[in-house]
Amino acid sequence: MALNEREEEYIQRYIDGDMDESEKEKFHTYIKENPECAHRLQELKRTVTIVQGTSHVWAPETFTDSIMKELPKKRKRKAWKSWSRQHPVLVAVSMFIVLMASSVLFAWNDQSGAEMTVTGDRENVNIDYDNKAVIIPEDETVQGDLTVRNGEVDVHGNVNGDLTVINGEPYMASAGSVSGNIEEVDQVLEWIWYHTKRISQEAWHMDDDEAA
Amino acid sequence: MDATVKRLVKEVKKDGDQDAFRELVDLYKDKVYQIAYRMVGNAYEAQDMAQEAFLRAYANIESYDENRKFSTWLFRITTNLCIDRLRKKKPDYSLDAEIPGAEGLDGYSQLSSPDKLPDEQVVTMEMQEWVQEGILKLPPKYRTAIVLRYIEDLSIQEISDILELPENTVKTHVHRGREALRKHLGNT
Repeated sequence: MALNEREEEYIQRYIDGDMDESEKEKFHTYIKENPECAHRLQELKRTVTIVQGTSHVWAPETFTDSIMKELPKKRKRKAWKSWSRQHPVLVAVSMFIVLMASSVLFAWNDQSGAEMTVTGDRENVNIDYDNKAVIIPEDETVQGDLTVRNGEVDVHGNVNGDLTVINGEPYMASAGSVSGNIEEVDQVLEWIWYHTKRISQEAWHMDDDEAA
Repeated sequence: MDATVKRLVKEVKKDGDQDAFRELVDLYKDKVYQIAYRMVGNAYEAQDMAQEAFLRAYANIESYDENRKFSTWLFRITTNLCIDRLRKKKPDYSLDAEIPGAEGLDGYSQLSSPDKLPDEQVVTMEMQEWVQEGILKLPPKYRTAIVLRYIEDLSIQEISDILELPENTVKTHVHRGREALRKHLGNT
């Protein structure tokens, strides 16, 4: 059942749909008179139908997951990253709050229950570490601010500045005097407030210094 | 569909967005796997080829020209990988070969059940076997043309884009493949 080259070519072109109407007509007429050609056409058409009708195969269920596992890790987009890129101010603010809170709380935990500390002019005061008390004798004057942590303060003399008592209590004798403010800090919240005030005051003073 | 694919590709290009890439994989995995399966002839290697194709697509997404169809580019990677594999390996795997790690599961069980096709197109299991056998007997270039033309149902123009061959060459490959398959059927 050998067909000539021309016939084979026509059949292929016909199957490919590459013939115009007049060519098709001629082809149909030709086919009717040449059963071998008609037979070949049928066979080829059937072949195509069978190949086209082959069941499709599907990728295994785990396919996507196993690809995702193989992808390089570092290019993985982090939701947090893109969010933070869009809200830099919020990130900065929350970072600041977290850092501030943790440092203040750390400082609070650090000093509560710890030894008494006295900062300022220590020369003219009696410091009693055993009883956790600081006494400013009647005829003495403390120059500048005095800060006492974890202890009581008995003021019989004078303080030329602010007196701050952290985690303790100030007692004022009638003869005693403090020229600045007396501040008592013994709650965590107050402690935070105290720090905030101090930091803002420092910032304020820094402004003053720069202006000066 | 095209707009979705464009958007997903953009996201992958921009910062390697893996969620977007996952969607692309889900969209094309069956087609890519099918091309690979028909080209290499067994499920194990097909999965290997298809995965490799996607990994290369991800790694080389920069080189994809967005003015062209994504599927054309992806299928080109797939067919090139498969043709390379065919050149390197000597004997053909059989459809009867058991898939490693899956006892009793051979190539046939990877074929979907025929109820997914309209009734008049149902091809019996023997025919399935015959088609796969016939395709695997074809030289790689005819095999590629037949798989893309009749299994993936792509136009001659698309195939010529994928294979980077002139349309007439693709047509010739389809003709020769068709003819060889016809003879194969005649012998059964």
